[in-house]
Amino acid sequence: MIENARSLNIAASVILLAGMLYILGPLYLTLATASQSYEFLLRNGLAWYPGDQFFNNAARIFTETRIPIQMLNSLAVAFSLAIATCILSFLSAYAIVYFRIRWAGVAFALILATIMLPVDIRVITTYQVASNVFSPVNALLDVTGLNGLIAKAFGAPVQLELSVLNTHFGLIAPLVAHGTGTFLFRQFFLTLPKDLFKAARMDGAGPVRFMFDILLPLSRTSFAALFVLTFLSGWIQYLWPLVASSTPDMQTAVVGLARLLPDSDGEVPDFPMIMAGAVIVSLVPLLMIALLQRYLVQGLVLSEK
Amino acid sequence: MNAIDTAIRAAAASITVKDLTKAYDPQTVVIPPMDVELKAGEFTVVLGPSGCGKSTLLQMIAGLERVSSGKILIGTREVQDLEPKHRGCAMVFQNYALYPHMTVFENMAYSLKVSGTPKAERAERVAAVAKMLGLADYLHRKPGQLSGGQRQRVAIGRAIVREPAVLLFDEPLSNLDAQLRHDMRVELADLHRRIGATTVFVTHDQVEAMTLADRILILNKGRIEQFDTPKAIYHNPASVFVAKFIGAPPMNILPVTGDGAALRLADGQVVANASLTGTYQLGIRPEDIVLDGKTEGHAVKAALRFREDLGSHSVLAADLGGSTVRIATPFGADIADRLELDLNFPTSRLHLFDAATGRAIPGAFGAQ
Repeated sequence: MIENARSLNIAASVILLAGMLYILGPLYLTLATASQSYEFLLRNGLAWYPGDQFFNNAARIFTETRIPIQMLNSLAVAFSLAIATCILSFLSAYAIVYFRIRWAGVAFALILATIMLPVDIRVITTYQVASNVFSPVNALLDVTGLNGLIAKAFGAPVQLELSVLNTHFGLIAPLVAHGTGTFLFRQFFLTLPKDLFKAARMDGAGPVRFMFDILLPLSRTSFAALFVLTFLSGWIQYLWPLVASSTPDMQTAVVGLARLLPDSDGEVPDFPMIMAGAVIVSLVPLLMIALLQRYLVQGLVLSEK
Repeated sequence: MNAIDTAIRAAAASITVKDLTKAYDPQTVVIPPMDVELKAGEFTVVLGPSGCGKSTLLQMIAGLERVSSGKILIGTREVQDLEPKHRGCAMVFQNYALYPHMTVFENMAYSLKVSGTPKAERAERVAAVAKMLGLADYLHRKPGQLSGGQRQRVAIGRAIVREPAVLLFDEPLSNLDAQLRHDMRVELADLHRRIGATTVFVTHDQVEAMTLADRILILNKGRIEQFDTPKAIYHNPASVFVAKFIGAPPMNILPVTGDGAALRLADGQVVANASLTGTYQLGIRPEDIVLDGKTEGHAVKAALRFREDLGSHSVLAADLGGSTVRIATPFGADIADRLELDLNFPTSRLHLFDAATGRAIPGAFGAQ
């Protein structure tokens, strides 16, 4: 429905303006603050207009903080997360759509359930497992009474221990367990002609060959879309990297940014430098979207062209 | 005739189906035991209503569906347990199933690439097939840039480039519009005449079956109703099912009762002399009923219900003893304001079927 009434136009413009203000206001304040000096902040409080100290502040991020190395951590986490999610999602969706598996429906439902159980909800149990990845095995041995038998036979029960806290693997692995990608690929596969698989079989291509020769090239845009989305979500993760890493050199940039706030009360935080850090940290995802936004849209509308 | 024609003609093999069954579970039997032999180089159309198991049969021959029991032989080789690629079959799918990201050339060359055929030979064979199908100018296009008919031709090209022993078609024309369907039918018939591949063509369209087939295999609920030439199927249907399935409008089927001397309709009118007793079903094609004329058969009276003028002929529908009979007459027959029709059923054109089983009773009215 298209209305031409003048009053409606004005109302729409006002709403749009309010929305823009809501989004752009904080962004403006970030940029303005990042370009003022610490002294300016101490004298005037909130920076309402930009200054000329941005490059100074940015340089201090590189010389005085661990943000650069933490950005490398973020890059490693986001990149590995995106790659691992793409590969796992593609494979699981392939299995669910193209093979006659009796429990495929159940498997898919379980995978979808992970969307409703993000790390933020299960952070405590995830932490417990990450601090000793064998704890479920130990618990199982205890519950089933096997450990009692083992203790009798060998003198001591089995207590395996391996912590992945404070490692890149520990940072990434719990985040990979997320069903959105599988769902995305499944929906995409269902839009493909279902005889494609049969045609490939008639042409002599087995399941692996079909995957590499037919399905993979067709899924390019879905891959790009999922890659961008997962990369972004990996880059902006806060809670899990916060609890899973304890040394500054293992923390991610977003956690590092938050840690730039002074620990003691009463001290005025160095907001210009922190905001400059925020701008620098945001550049990577911004670049990512700028480069791949075309695929993002194509991949999400789920049509093969 | 070029090299590829000769190669396909040489590769053509017969298909023998022995005691073949297909059941998804004991309750849902798709195909009860079936025995049939399709000759080498023959164009067989498998015809039947949807859900009759014709696609399942095709996919079992292709190797895309497992057989529940029984044997399938291509040539003299048992293939029921082989992978599709080892059976020497090629298939054309209803929705073409072309690889959207590959060019026409790559689509047609894919099976050769998978089988490890050298590049030069691949190019040569694809070029030969493309030329035969009039696709030479489109080899570098992607399927998305082709029309429906062209895509269909690419799908056929992809199938025959492998020089298969058996060529399978799964309702390949049902996605095309009426005009294109007609053109492709002519092309397919021409192609088969040239390459002589053993062809199995599944359809629910009787026109495709009648025009393309050397022999038609009519399936009903997985059972073979009749397997014969189009002519024999039309003129000597083996069952009521076949009689009603083939022909437009289909054959009229009327319940009759024999009193030992004559067959009577439900309202008592005599339609034929026969020394039969009991109930039967009598069949006669709409175009075999004679209006107002004299034949060796009996004359009956029927009440006209409506008429359809189709240009080439008119179809009258009349009420005869409680059933509707359709009569095909020359266009514009002068029956405008008559409510009662004098119909004549030529005895030589009558078909008699068993009332219970629906099977034809041959020779009921002497030689046919």
